[in-house]
Amino acid sequence: MTPVRGDKTDKRLAAVGMLVSCLAAGFLISIYGFIGYGSSAAWHQFGLEILRSDAWAPLGQQPRLGILTMIASTLWCAVGALLLASPLGVCSAIFLSEVAPPWVGQLMRPVILLLTGIPSVVYGFLGAAVLVTFFEVKLGMASGESLFCGSIVLAVMILPYIISGSYHALQSIPAGYREAASALGVSEPYAVTRVLLPLVYKNIAAAIAIAFGRATGETMAVLMLAGNTLTMPDSWFSKGETLSALIALELGSSEAGSLHHQGLFAAGLVLLALVTAINIGVNGWLSPRREEDGR
Amino acid sequence: MKKVLLLLLIVSLAVTAGCGSTNTQAPAPKDSSIKIGGSSTLAPTIANCANDFTEKYQTWKKVNAQLPDEQIVIFVASGGSGLGVNSAINGTVDIGLVSREIKDSEKAKLPNHKFYTLGYDALTIAVNPKNPVLQVKPNLTAEEVKKIFSGELKTWQQLDASLPNRPIVVAVRDLGGGATQAFDEAIMKGTPITKEAIQLPSMGALAGKVQENVDAIGYVSVGFVQADKAKFGVLSVNGIAPTSENIAAGKYQIARPLIIITKDKPDDKQQNFIEYLLSENGYKAIEAMGFVPVRVK
Repeated sequence: MTPVRGDKTDKRLAAVGMLVSCLAAGFLISIYGFIGYGSSAAWHQFGLEILRSDAWAPLGQQPRLGILTMIASTLWCAVGALLLASPLGVCSAIFLSEVAPPWVGQLMRPVILLLTGIPSVVYGFLGAAVLVTFFEVKLGMASGESLFCGSIVLAVMILPYIISGSYHALQSIPAGYREAASALGVSEPYAVTRVLLPLVYKNIAAAIAIAFGRATGETMAVLMLAGNTLTMPDSWFSKGETLSALIALELGSSEAGSLHHQGLFAAGLVLLALVTAINIGVNGWLSPRREEDGR
Repeated sequence: MKKVLLLLLIVSLAVTAGCGSTNTQAPAPKDSSIKIGGSSTLAPTIANCANDFTEKYQTWKKVNAQLPDEQIVIFVASGGSGLGVNSAINGTVDIGLVSREIKDSEKAKLPNHKFYTLGYDALTIAVNPKNPVLQVKPNLTAEEVKKIFSGELKTWQQLDASLPNRPIVVAVRDLGGGATQAFDEAIMKGTPITKEAIQLPSMGALAGKVQENVDAIGYVSVGFVQADKAKFGVLSVNGIAPTSENIAAGKYQIARPLIIITKDKPDDKQQNFIEYLLSENGYKAIEAMGFVPVRVK
């Protein structure tokens, strides 16, 4: 291949690449446009009351479209899942990367990644069959569904993201740091907590944030486990309805173009904005760090 | 390099072509299948009928000699009454399934619609078979049912002093669904259902909740109760039990129609299938699912 031809091919390749990525970006923008358009009348009529009010009664004589309880439930469920999954996930990653013999890592990582392939409805089904019954029968709760139940299953679902993100962050540290630590004779726990983790804590935080985005948008498992009540959650063990569950439950039965339909689109917009904000926030927080480091 | 480029071009062309075609070629090539969709209550029954119909006749010519000699293909999808009406309006389905009254605002969007009432579904006030309320108070007044579902009565003891002091777990379908609307018309009459009610994503899940939870109460479609009577405890309302006779005679109040709707006058094939549904064959299928066919009414 002559350099000139190669140059041309590269240019064409770049153009195709550009086209495809523009399409992908355009797709995201058009989703925003579509959902924004679908909910515009609701925003026009109710304004920020949608975000502030906790009364959801789209079919009442005086329709109300407040989704504050759903926002609270969504965040509570997702943050709860992070509380459960983050320590477990980061510690697993440290174990796999630093402590375990290599063959254990080679065996375990594919298994952990396999967890991401399990459909969420299966998780939800397992949760409903095992967790909800456990809370009802063993702990004597009147009904077993709760945000806590949702958080437990979400935690299992996001664990692979946290583990593999943290694992790759740890693996990216040059061997020199470990060798230097060994040469100075510090113990392994000291080397991990004082040398390695400070180097990559931002990447680990990014892995957790991506997992948070995943947990916020998850629908099926939470729909089956959180109870879907319209009450404002006041503890981890109260029931609640997440934004995604609200949309999944009611979109099928809402009349197209009605206020109800638009309210659900508004909920979708809020959910989308929430997830986008998390992603943009993490990216913004991460990018300057790389330059400082020169890594 | 060249191969990679070619591959990329093909992929990107396919992507762009895919995007374009959805916009420009809106009317899909007319196929001969019948697409049916809507109410999750009605869909299983219609799917059974469609199976029997297809097996019995195989081709349209055998249904009616004037029809072309084509294989019968009928698709049935489940997704809620709202979806049934919406997709009939926008033409996604040929026949929409609806298990509630059709709203005036929806009728306005379907000026040439035809609808056919196949039968009635009743919502039973069902509890767990282990619930002592079945012995203590097997008959509730409509007012008591309303108080339970609106959250005014919070424990079983508040309903009757001899019942245990445990919370009543109210289980409902999603608040916009056909069942909720029928229940609102018959019992709640505008009073909102308690915010603490657990919303289940399907009638099957609601039935499951009542089967599993000792303190649960919910409005379970009579079809589910008939299928497995031992697993439900059914309460009478105002002294009337939800038996087929009572439902058919219109005595049992918490009932809703099972309707099929078409946007325009159905074409010949659709008409033949609709006639099948409205014949003794269809009625038997509706009865087999525990509903009450319109014939008896």
